[in-house]
Amino acid sequence: MNAPDSKLTALLRDARPSPALPSRFQQNVWRRIEDAAAPAQSESWLDALAALILHPRFALATAALLLLAGVFAGMADGRQFARHDAQMNYLAAVAPHAAR
Amino acid sequence: MKRPLLILLGALALGAAIFAGSFFTARHTTMICCEKPADDLNWLRLEFHLSDADMARIREMHEGYLPKCAEMCAKIAAAKRELDSLGNSGTNVTAEAQAKRKEIANLRAQCQAQMLEHFVAVSQAMPAEQGKRYLAEMKQLTLGTNELMEKSMSDHAGHEHGSN
Repeated sequence: MNAPDSKLTALLRDARPSPALPSRFQQNVWRRIEDAAAPAQSESWLDALAALILHPRFALATAALLLLAGVFAGMADGRQFARHDAQMNYLAAVAPHAAR
Repeated sequence: MKRPLLILLGALALGAAIFAGSFFTARHTTMICCEKPADDLNWLRLEFHLSDADMARIREMHEGYLPKCAEMCAKIAAAKRELDSLGNSGTNVTAEAQAKRKEIANLRAQCQAQMLEHFVAVSQAMPAEQGKRYLAEMKQLTLGTNELMEKSMSDHAGHEHGSN
């Protein structure tokens, strides 16, 4: 019973040849297993910053802060410009040669 | 490009747009609100925090000064036209042109003296501290450029002489 089985097995193996494995197959398999088992790498500062930016509270607060800063800076600049304009108006009236 | 970098750049661009938008809108609105070109004396009231009584005195002086100033300006302009009509051709300076230049210089000196007198009078109509500040600022605005030019010329002349 054993002899015909082993014969049959050998015959079947010959009939279906298994393809040759790629080079360093075993090494690559082990490397992938090790990579999967290793703890996740800590994220970079860029990833952390991007995550913070996408946080709705942070995004909203930053936008509000920028808006307020822009309004105050614009008002200060506008006042400065208007002051200069009014000063030049006065100067043009009292010292036309100097204002030119 | 990496996704986090894109997010960062996008956020920066959006932030800059929010700041610029609010800055220019506020600037424009403030300029429109503060603009009162009809009154020459608006700057005095705002800058030196003058009361209505101070403003009334200063307005009277201002209105008295304007015709005198206009008269001096007209005299200077007429003298300049006369100088131009003499035709400063080439390098010859005629005695007549020389005399006209002296006349213009005298008129300018008179105009400047009159202007300084007015500034002193206005400064005296203000509270002491504000008057001092006003006088200093007006001198700086009207005579500052000339003084700077004279100083730079005298410095330059000094260096030239020193090197000889």
